[in-house]
Amino acid sequence: MVATVRLPDDLLAMIARGVSCIVGSRDEALRPSIMRAVGSQVAADGAGITVYLSRSQSRQLLQDIASTGDVAVVFSEPASHRTVQLKARTAAIRPATEADRPALDRYLASMEHEIGRVGYPVSMARAMLAYRLDDLVALSFTPEMAFDQTPGPRAGSALGASK
Amino acid sequence: MSTPLAEIRACLEGAIPAVLATCGADGVPNVAYISQVFHVDDRHVALSFQFFNKTRQNILSNPRATALLLDPRTAAFWRLHIRYLRTESEGPVFESMKAQLAGIASHSGMEGVFRLLGSDIYEVEKLEQVPGDPLPAPPRPAGRLAALRSLSERLARCCALDEALNAVMAVLSDALDMRHAMVLMLDQPAQRLYTVASTGYAISGVGSEIRVGQGVIGVAARERTPVRISHMTNAALYSQAMRSSFERESPDIAPVTEIPYPGLAEPHGQLAVPILSADRLLGVVFVESPQDLRFSYEDEDALVVAAGHLGAAIDLLQSGAESAEGEAAAPAQEDSAPSRGASLQLRHYPANDSVFLDGEYLIKGVAGAILWKLARDHVQQGRTEFSNRELRLDPSLGLPDISDNLEARLLLLQRRLQEHGPHLRIEKTGRGRFRLAVGRPLRLDPA
Repeated sequence: MVATVRLPDDLLAMIARGVSCIVGSRDEALRPSIMRAVGSQVAADGAGITVYLSRSQSRQLLQDIASTGDVAVVFSEPASHRTVQLKARTAAIRPATEADRPALDRYLASMEHEIGRVGYPVSMARAMLAYRLDDLVALSFTPEMAFDQTPGPRAGSALGASK
Repeated sequence: MSTPLAEIRACLEGAIPAVLATCGADGVPNVAYISQVFHVDDRHVALSFQFFNKTRQNILSNPRATALLLDPRTAAFWRLHIRYLRTESEGPVFESMKAQLAGIASHSGMEGVFRLLGSDIYEVEKLEQVPGDPLPAPPRPAGRLAALRSLSERLARCCALDEALNAVMAVLSDALDMRHAMVLMLDQPAQRLYTVASTGYAISGVGSEIRVGQGVIGVAARERTPVRISHMTNAALYSQAMRSSFERESPDIAPVTEIPYPGLAEPHGQLAVPILSADRLLGVVFVESPQDLRFSYEDEDALVVAAGHLGAAIDLLQSGAESAEGEAAAPAQEDSAPSRGASLQLRHYPANDSVFLDGEYLIKGVAGAILWKLARDHVQQGRTEFSNRELRLDPSLGLPDISDNLEARLLLLQRRLQEHGPHLRIEKTGRGRFRLAVGRPLRLDPA
């Protein structure tokens, strides 16, 4: 069993509410891959995190995660720049289903609000997060490391105690 | 590259931060927001290096990185596959980014946190369009090319510097909707820029000066590169509105000799473009706006073209005026209205060649020395007709060298006299020739 971290409650709450989410990995040659998630949710126990990616937008990224297991995920609140990065060495990928729809809808509503706070219309959030359910995968992982990435002097510091 | 980098410049405005994936030598990927992805040329971008962080460590050990960009107008995604080359901490790219970052920091409430340590230069290996469902692109603003055509046509008809400057001011203001604009010329020996033309301000500010390196205008001059801040609620470090009053020169025997700088008190966008010709810096064209996000890359393109045409015109007009200087002077016209009435007092301070008219500061430097010479020749010899050539040959004026733009100095003097009043004027009488029109007898008081 790998070590996992317990995130500070306020950051966990921020992630659970639904903020900008970017996923990265890398291939065997250490070439990095990256894409924005169109949804996220936190498991009821607060430990597991699921993010949603469109296959058509994330081919290299999904291939890299499948082959290396390495994943880095950043959550950031646009208006405050409060940012956290989670890392894990294993992740599970499955197709999204109708059962994921409520989480995706909640996420979109939250993001419409979040990017509205920095001056963008609802249409922007919808275009940025557009997806087809049959093109979506759910990527689930348990964070092994967490870092504060809010710009400033504490940026980069490790967060949360191993449990 | 199938899509030229220039096509995605809208994504590089910093309105929506980019995200960068890197990977350490240990194979652990890292994702981080990045304030600035700067368009260097069609094969290179520069990323802002602001903190010694994981991204920094990673690119130094593994130069491959992938940036995710979002078009702030359409929400279209692009991936930029890049390779780190080097870090620059001075020069045009660094200075442009520094000024732009001040705007981004101000826009995002990050003043004091964002500081540019370096410009990380990356080679672009691939630009990848990410499939998606973007919004339709907004229509491209039409008129810019037509506006530049009109400028080109007008400049081609100009026979003197003031006409060329008027043409630029008119096209910027009317056709390009850049309502607040000014042109400053370089005083090379003094390393200062002086305003020769402006539009859209409560005062003309002709004659006001900016030090090379000071603010947006001064940095554009020093680095010979466009500097654009597209959103600056409080980018005070760069705001040209910061008066030069803090620069009280060493105690001078002359009283205050500062012409107020005309700029906006609270600009939200500024763009300064160097005027270059034959690889020499001639001056700066500057525009500003009270609106956020007013100046785009396309505005910068247009202003660079305008400044290029103006630079060529200035050089051509200068050489035209010089070749005409040798021609025989036209017979002096009889003064139809000899000066009369109360005398007009001119006081000259040799320390900085400042000249005061009836106790009011008018001009200093080379233009001040020129006026003092003209006035002396008028009073002592009754002369009114003069040529550029004799000014150039007069050692007492200390004209810097042949490359100095005498036309610009004369235009500055002419405009300052115009603003002062009707009694003393400079009127062009032909190429390289002009008349001192004296409405009241001059009384010369050396200080």
